Amino acid sequence: MAAACGRLLEQAGVRALARASAARPAARCRCFSSSGLLRANNGEPTKFQPPPKPVVVDKHKEVAERRFLSPEFIPPRGRTNPLKFYIERTDMIQRRKVLNIPEFYVGSILSVTTADPYASDKTSRFVGICIQRGGKGLGATFVLRNIIEGQGVEFCYELYNPRIREIKVLKLEKRLDDNLMYLRDALPEYSTFDVNMKPVPHSANDEIPVNQLKVKMKPRPWTKRWERPKFNIQGIHFELPKEMMEEAQKWSMPWIQFDMLREYNTSKLEKEIWKEVNEELKK
Amino acid sequence: MPGWGQLLCRAGGRLLAGVPGGPVQGAGAAAAVAATGNRGPWCSIVRHINSTTWWDEHLSEENTQFLKQVTAEEYRAQTASKLCPLKDEPWPLHSWEPGSRRVGLVAIKLGMIPLWTKNGERHAVTLLQVKDCHVLKYTPKEEYNGKTATLIVGGKHSSPFYKPESALEVFREAGVPPKQKTTIFKVSDNAIIKPGTPLYAAHFRPGQFVDVTAKTIGKGFQGVMKRWGFKGQPASHGQTKTHRRPGAISNTNAGKVFRGTKMPGKMGNVYRTAFGLKVWRINTKNNIIYVNGSVPGHKNCLVKVRDTNLPTYRDCNKNPPFPTFFADGEEELPEDLYDQEVFQFTDPSVTYV
Repeated sequence: MAAACGRLLEQAGVRALARASAARPAARCRCFSSSGLLRANNGEPTKFQPPPKPVVVDKHKEVAERRFLSPEFIPPRGRTNPLKFYIERTDMIQRRKVLNIPEFYVGSILSVTTADPYASDKTSRFVGICIQRGGKGLGATFVLRNIIEGQGVEFCYELYNPRIREIKVLKLEKRLDDNLMYLRDALPEYSTFDVNMKPVPHSANDEIPVNQLKVKMKPRPWTKRWERPKFNIQGIHFELPKEMMEEAQKWSMPWIQFDMLREYNTSKLEKEIWKEVNEELKK
Repeated sequence: MPGWGQLLCRAGGRLLAGVPGGPVQGAGAAAAVAATGNRGPWCSIVRHINSTTWWDEHLSEENTQFLKQVTAEEYRAQTASKLCPLKDEPWPLHSWEPGSRRVGLVAIKLGMIPLWTKNGERHAVTLLQVKDCHVLKYTPKEEYNGKTATLIVGGKHSSPFYKPESALEVFREAGVPPKQKTTIFKVSDNAIIKPGTPLYAAHFRPGQFVDVTAKTIGKGFQGVMKRWGFKGQPASHGQTKTHRRPGAISNTNAGKVFRGTKMPGKMGNVYRTAFGLKVWRINTKNNIIYVNGSVPGHKNCLVKVRDTNLPTYRDCNKNPPFPTFFADGEEELPEDLYDQEVFQFTDPSVTYV
């Protein structure tokens, strides 16, 4: 009994010593650390808390905020009642609050996961380069292209389809053209993208890089006569003889740039719609 | 064409009539010269004695402005006064019975939009906006055809200045501004409504079926291939001047051409009905009906919407708002009414289990 009491006392003593030793380093730490947490713990051993990282607020970058309005918000010319576009826009904004549709351009590499009732895990993922963005309003689409096991595959996704679970931009960049349909006739290496590629980081306020790549084509015939001026393609490295290029210029219509009826100035519309969309999204 | 005629008439009329303070001195001098000299009647060809006049031909600018203002204010007051039909001694309201027919609406076709269901299926829907729809007149069954009573319903507001007096009388009696389109709806006796009652999009509910009638897009005079879908003739292999012609129109035994033979003629601009269209969604704030599929007519045209007569959907239109939906009643509807299967954009994305 005495021995047990002795042991208890010893243990108590050890505990007291431990407490004291804990208190001593705590006491020592009190002078060095600035956090008040140690005081709140009543002398118990605390983990080392590193000082908070300094937050660098770059005011210059905030000023030059890029205004990107997705092209499907801009209504086409026509005699439709603007109320119809307004209603479509409210639906589009609602969907954007649920699913984040990032900013992307033709030429960016995206990965899209959709809900698929016939897949084993009910989702299907596709990675590809965006070759075309079409449609206005809720029916807006984008086409992704990739070459999988030697076979070229293109997927046309609707931006506002509720089956889309996630749209991720793996590489945000632009190309020299708005429409990259000519990649179908280009060498396969220009349309192959790694399905498991890591997303390339891109800060929010940088300018979007324009990839000046000029693509090499398969031998003719092509699906379309891409050398003709109607397509106005800058992104192909044409290795055709000079006579062919000159003959293609026969189909040029140089008067079109002066045609005033084809002009559609969307700058004011864009500003109003951008303001409206941003206000709704912030709510 | 009427615009051109009016312009010429205006020019000719001003010169001839010599409206004080109108023509420039030079033109007056020319008119005087034409009247006195032997230039011939070059002004009088423009305007014939039997041509009609337009409403502000003999009015000064001040008076036209005044009339426009006054009519606009009057009609705004009239629409405001008709906003509470239930407090305005409405006609007795009955409840719905199977076999009763209720009124329809006049709507504006806005355009088309995709719509997704909860299974992920995509449907194309047409937006129909119900704008300034009022009941105009009640004709009891004795006066109409002895069997059914009718209600005349009017659509979008329009200017009174280009309407005949007979039409304006109907609008004045109902106490409502003049409408662009008026239609007749055959109605059972328990569904009659007092003239002047406004009708709203909530008259229809999601899940019910609807027939939409409108004038198809006019294509003008069209050949037999576009109008009736004939195959025409080959482009080459010796065809002499015959590529889009009808070919034979009858046979020797008949010895005549039967009535109703398909031939080229004016195509479109005819009333056609799309039957059995499902209503997917109703927006009560802007009074818009989302109707499945396509509807005849161009964008912003006026259409007639009514409950289906098809026997397949007779059971789907049970217990509708009868005789119509009253905005000042006790029922408070949310801004959007959706059908059960419609995917609402506030929900998370569709997943399959």
